[in-house]
Amino acid sequence: MSKRRPFTWPIATTAVALFAFPLAALLVQAFGDEWRYPALLPQRFGLRGIHAAVASGAAGEALTNSAEIALATTALALVLGWPAARALAERRLRRPGPLLLLLALPLLVPTYATGTGLTTWFIQLGLADSVAGLVLAHLTVVLPYVALLLLPAFGPGLRDLEEMAMTTGAGPLRRLIHVSVPASRATVAAAALLGFLVSWSQYGLSLSVGGGIPTLPIVMLPFVRNDPEVAAAIALFFLAPVFLALLAASRAGRRVL
Amino acid sequence: MILRRVSLEVPSGSRTALVGPSGAGKTTLLRAIAGLEPIEGGRLDLGGHHLNGVPPHKRRVAFVFQEPRLLPNFDVIDNVAFGLRAAGGRRGERRARAAELLNEVGLAALAGRCVQGLSTGEQQRVALARALCSGPDLLLLDEPLAAVDPNRREGLRRLIVKIQEQRALTTILVTHDRAEAAELGQRVALMLEGRIIQHDEPETLFERPASPAVARFFGTPNLLRGHVIAGLLQVGDLALPVEGADGEAAFVIRPERIRIREQGSLRAEVREAAYLGSHVRLKLHCNQLVLEAHVPSDEAPSVGMEVGVELPEEYLWRLSEATGEPALAEAWDR
Repeated sequence: MSKRRPFTWPIATTAVALFAFPLAALLVQAFGDEWRYPALLPQRFGLRGIHAAVASGAAGEALTNSAEIALATTALALVLGWPAARALAERRLRRPGPLLLLLALPLLVPTYATGTGLTTWFIQLGLADSVAGLVLAHLTVVLPYVALLLLPAFGPGLRDLEEMAMTTGAGPLRRLIHVSVPASRATVAAAALLGFLVSWSQYGLSLSVGGGIPTLPIVMLPFVRNDPEVAAAIALFFLAPVFLALLAASRAGRRVL
Repeated sequence: MILRRVSLEVPSGSRTALVGPSGAGKTTLLRAIAGLEPIEGGRLDLGGHHLNGVPPHKRRVAFVFQEPRLLPNFDVIDNVAFGLRAAGGRRGERRARAAELLNEVGLAALAGRCVQGLSTGEQQRVALARALCSGPDLLLLDEPLAAVDPNRREGLRRLIVKIQEQRALTTILVTHDRAEAAELGQRVALMLEGRIIQHDEPETLFERPASPAVARFFGTPNLLRGHVIAGLLQVGDLALPVEGADGEAAFVIRPERIRIREQGSLRAEVREAAYLGSHVRLKLHCNQLVLEAHVPSDEAPSVGMEVGVELPEEYLWRLSEATGEPALAEAWDR
């Protein structure tokens, strides 16, 4: 018989409320065609904000760009973060300090500053205002998160399974596909989700390196002051892939190794 | 564990047990053979092929670990077929081969089951089938029975022997249990402190050990050091008839070979008597000499009794080195 946990419901309700409250505020804002101070709710609901966001065409293009950039950045961060995290977790480096510092550096410096530093080089390399340039720029902040989140994936349990795979004839690639990644599925899913979200919501780097490539944060921000209803409508576009990513990550993470 | 001057030749198609106390280097040696531990010097050959530098997945050396190490995201049959999957085998073929092996290890009915629901004994059988699936040239088993319920070990022991003999598969098995080593190994190698001390048939290691350390490991604590003079071994006040040349000598005798009589010229006091099911273990004090004897429970004298002790000459084994290997003997004592 399972024990009753008296605080489960209040905690769960509070957590849901904390999550739902800003979402509800966003929905009301996105569909509030007429909303005058000091009313708590709009006087009239409608689709003006959605129409404006769709009609401009900017939201659709920004959505595609943001998705492409976030997916590519996440994939690259996983590929590069995996060996980096492994080297750190398995203590293969005699002095891991410099690598840790290198990983943490972009997190300590404001992203706009990092982007400004990169812009000159990117212009000279022909990467400014390009999707590839934005992916590389986003990678500077996404990679540290992904690498640090992947650290717990490596340990004796994974090593044991990989050794087993070696002695049954599995080469490095098959070990990675059939053993290492499935064994650390939950950690990889969490790292991928966070990596995606960091890239998806990136403003400072996108503005400094790829101002000419519209991404959702870039497109949305001017409307925040001028027309909050349109900004809220764009934010709804912003949310959809995030929910999809969250769903995919939680499904992947739930599967037993 | 660092291995030093290890030399082990295993005949093709044979079954060798590598035995020794914990920390002796048995697992390290097995892992080095499999390529899981780097070797700095020496040479490793398998059937004429030089293995130094060959990556583990290309050595054709299968390994059954102490823990089954099954993949929880695969069912039983896919775990067994993992080696063929790794080699790029077709699904139908690899599952058919895995099904044959599951049948052989007695788990055909569990093919579709997920591995978490299996007992440790069943999981170890799956691990054994998996190791065989890719047709290795050498099978390494690292204490495969250690995690298995004692009641199920006998069945798995028989299975290992049957499978090895049917295939004539060269096999090296690690254990710290000398009885298990004798049962499973056609030949047994004793390792102490990173060195192979003696490699021989089980009976030789038990009855004719090469050194006191080997004798002690194989359950012979009775070491008699003294001088042989005219066919008599002088140990303190005792004089025992023995064979061999005169001079400093060390003899051992197994506890079960010592006979206890009411009468006898060699008198001893029973200081301890421990009932162990199949026999009673006696500690006998005979002047400065302490002997261990194993006797049937219905013949066991009580503690404090004085008994006659007979050390049959034919069971006294003269060690080749009189001084033995004190360092190793001490290591084994620890």
